[in-house]
Amino acid sequence: MSITRAVQPDLRKKRVNWQKVAVILLFAIVPMFLLILFTYIPFIKMIQFSFYNMSYTKNRGFVGLDNYLKVFSKSEYVGAMLLSLYYMAGAVVQLSLALLFASILSLERIRGAGIYKAILFFPFLVNGIAIGYIFKYFYTRGFVLDSVLQAIGIPLEKLPYWLRDQSVNNWSLVFTSVWKYCGQNMVLFIGAIASIDPTLYEAATIDGANRWEQFKAIILPGIKTVFMLNLILSITGSLSAFEPAYVVGSMGANGTATFFIKIHQMAHVSGKVGMACAMAMVLMVLILIFTVLQRLFFRYVMRDSDNTFNAKANQAKALW
Amino acid sequence: MKKVLSLILALSMMLGVVSFASAEEALPTFDKIVLGENTDLTAKIHFAYHRTDLGGEDGKLAGYVKKFNETYPNIEIEYELITDYAENALLRVGNTDWTIMGIPAVDQDELSKYFIPLGDLETMSGLYNFVSAKAYDGVCYGIPSTGGANGLVYNKRIFAEAGITELPKTPDEFIAALKAVKEKTDAIPLYTNYAAGWTMGAWDDYISGCATGSATFQNQDMLHMKDPFANRGDGTGPYAVYKILYDAVKEGLIEEDYTTTDWEGCKPMMNNGQIATMVLGSWAYTQMRDAIGGNHPEDVGYMAFPITVNGKQYAPAGGDYNFGINVKASYEEKLASLYYLKWLTHESGFAYSEGGVPINKGGEMPDLYAAFDGIEMVEQAPAVAGEETLLNELNSESELNINNGGNIKVQQIVEHAFNGDMEFDEIMASWNEAWSDAQETLGVEVNK
Repeated sequence: MSITRAVQPDLRKKRVNWQKVAVILLFAIVPMFLLILFTYIPFIKMIQFSFYNMSYTKNRGFVGLDNYLKVFSKSEYVGAMLLSLYYMAGAVVQLSLALLFASILSLERIRGAGIYKAILFFPFLVNGIAIGYIFKYFYTRGFVLDSVLQAIGIPLEKLPYWLRDQSVNNWSLVFTSVWKYCGQNMVLFIGAIASIDPTLYEAATIDGANRWEQFKAIILPGIKTVFMLNLILSITGSLSAFEPAYVVGSMGANGTATFFIKIHQMAHVSGKVGMACAMAMVLMVLILIFTVLQRLFFRYVMRDSDNTFNAKANQAKALW
Repeated sequence: MKKVLSLILALSMMLGVVSFASAEEALPTFDKIVLGENTDLTAKIHFAYHRTDLGGEDGKLAGYVKKFNETYPNIEIEYELITDYAENALLRVGNTDWTIMGIPAVDQDELSKYFIPLGDLETMSGLYNFVSAKAYDGVCYGIPSTGGANGLVYNKRIFAEAGITELPKTPDEFIAALKAVKEKTDAIPLYTNYAAGWTMGAWDDYISGCATGSATFQNQDMLHMKDPFANRGDGTGPYAVYKILYDAVKEGLIEEDYTTTDWEGCKPMMNNGQIATMVLGSWAYTQMRDAIGGNHPEDVGYMAFPITVNGKQYAPAGGDYNFGINVKASYEEKLASLYYLKWLTHESGFAYSEGGVPINKGGEMPDLYAAFDGIEMVEQAPAVAGEETLLNELNSESELNINNGGNIKVQQIVEHAFNGDMEFDEIMASWNEAWSDAQETLGVEVNK
């Protein structure tokens, strides 16, 4: 009896385990298979292709690092990479605006806050190509933007050609990107702010902290993770900007071709697949570098505020 | 067994005799065929054809057969209309189940294996358009039914208002005409359609036959040429084509804001006289003429591209499939086919009714080509054997992508001209460099 008793639970345990394993395997196999087939194999192939001089149909042999050297030796590619700086500047504005709107909409009691949220979030829901066409007309000489500016008293002659003049055209494109993604960032911020314990504000108010101090000491540390996420998304988005320049900027014409557009042209217009793969690799490494740099930078900066936050929180708790 | 063998032997001998006999009776060349002779000719023609839209009992083709049979009642013509023509024809080109077919993509040096010679190229090209496309070693093997030629769309009323009585024939005359348009009318002299991109790539079409007068420029000469974009000094060559664009931009003869041009919107603008010229293929003519919102279809005109090579203007052109006659057909079938092709070329009026360029020189031009009198149509001959893919490779390696989606480089001409940050000669020099580098990378032999 005792033996059977001792064995039975063991057997049962094993049977359950096998089922579990089978289920886990079955569920894992499909996504793993897809992941490997459509992500990792192409990725490894891309690394391989980047060392060859090849088109879609012809492989003209191994060229070592030639493709990579070309990426860095041609001024047009370096220039295209530098265009990302416009988009990064835009990303800073975009995040600041999003944070501002999010704080106002969360902290103040505003009538119809929901409507404002919806209005600000709406652009993110519009298809990028459609946004492109909207802004094409928006920037056309004498159309929307010019009419609005004329209505507030700026004569047409003093206005630039928003897409033609190379001194402003990249800013025009960056604006479309800010317009589109600001709402998305804002919604993420609002979500993060909502998760902060409201008693902290009360405590801070009792302590005599004004809105700005509350923002600095409570909100900012409280949304650190989401802030980092938004920042990383914006910066990588800036490095691989494509839509605005492709649709509004006529496929990257007139000095608006970002590095991503150059990759597209290389692969799909000129058919130089090897070169395009090398460029994609460079872009990926750049994005990795920027992500790591950001993390390091903010770990350094946030450690400070983290401490203040914890200190204040402890203070508040102690008071209670 | 022996009987069978001897039968086969006898049959093959007979066949040999027959073929020997037909080889003896020399066929007349295409130009020597006179319609109305040999009306008692009896033969059956199997015509493999790609225009599936023209079939049916009341179709155009049935009408042609009926009309042809009024003169040649004993020639029976059977059309076979094939949907996937290019592949189907290529598979069957060596068979005997057809008499006439549109020549598919066989190598030039193999034409004589499948098709009878129609005449020497010199005579033929003096009489007919687009015959050089299917010719090898000075012998012509095929004649098409219709063709198209490219120039540029212009507004007749605006040209008249600007006081342009004679259409410009050289780059200088053209720029002068654009200036006159700017001074005397409110129209945009040259609308670039910069923003659409592909409309800029359309300029590439004029650098070959039109700017050089040569049928071998794009697919043969340029591949081995050193500096194809160099200034020839006489207003010809690719240099002259792009120079027109550069100068027009530099002189302020284009739309104010080229980055927001609107392709759909430009059609009624051309029609209504807000635009004077646009550099686009002949297909664009009907779109401009019939544009929604356009009130003056009669003002839309089509003219040859303003480049003159040795006193002569050329238009880049292309024929439809060139018809060839099966070399394995019987003598009667071949002769009957020659009569029918001659009739199609001279009597059917096919090209005119299709709105295309007539094949026989001096044939009636549709309205579209009213201003193409005396302008020679040049079709680019295919690449020589072994170099069929070389243009593509050079295009890819140089990233110039000529006639192959290379819109960016033409857009850049507009940008540099407008911003004044690069001289035209510098642009062309950079293209020459890209071309030379590509030639070197691919190991192409370069003629000095």
